[in-house]
Amino acid sequence: MMSSLMITAILRRGTLLLLLWWILTEGSRDGWVMGIFAVSGALWLSLRLVAPEATRFSLTGMGAFLGFFVCNSVRGGVQVALIALQGRRALQPGTLEVQLLLSSAAPRILMAGVLGLMPGTVSVRLDGRMLLLHVIDERMPIAAEVRALETRIARMFGESL
Amino acid sequence: MIELAATILLCVGGFFYFAGTLGLLRFPDVYSRLHSLAKADNLGLGCILLGLAIQEESLAAALKLVLIWPLALTASAAVSYAIARHADALAIKPWRSREQK
Repeated sequence: MMSSLMITAILRRGTLLLLLWWILTEGSRDGWVMGIFAVSGALWLSLRLVAPEATRFSLTGMGAFLGFFVCNSVRGGVQVALIALQGRRALQPGTLEVQLLLSSAAPRILMAGVLGLMPGTVSVRLDGRMLLLHVIDERMPIAAEVRALETRIARMFGESL
Repeated sequence: MIELAATILLCVGGFFYFAGTLGLLRFPDVYSRLHSLAKADNLGLGCILLGLAIQEESLAAALKLVLIWPLALTASAAVSYAIARHADALAIKPWRSREQK
């Protein structure tokens, strides 16, 4: 007897994979037999590698995170482009050590990765809760921005800080 | 109209690639170069993909182009962390400006 957790996982992941197949074949119907094999194979593999479990992952939290991410990665790109045009005299780099409040590993790794695309920061070393950042300009309010990102990641993963 | 928007997006994308490369050449150390490469190129790619996607006639083909963005972002974030991590392990000190010293 399949648990309801398994059934929801099959439905959700199956829909996503079908959508992916549709996108990859650019909506053509010619390869649908191949598609059924590919989607079932991928679904089976995904269930084996990442067993379905009860999570508090929030879809609205993900929406908020994605909005925040897109806005800030645009801001980060524009900012660094302007610094590059001015040359190295516009740089005032430094390092910053941040203690993360996130309690599990996956959101911390996401955080370290995403910070590489946010304005003014690149992750240098993630060691447990300690995250060492390289900042392009020490005068920027980096610590506050790091917290803002952390709050959004925590909400998406259903963690309370 | 769409033609014009696409042209603007492609030019803006090209500009960000240019700025990212400029930073790669001008910035003084590995850490600051990573800022320039990861962030500016990510934005350049996003603009170019969007510019190409709005010209597509089918929705699936447009989505396929847009899907390249998160894949490249994931790779860029992971690679930039790996390079910075290794530079740190080699004890490479971040460059400081003259006023900071």
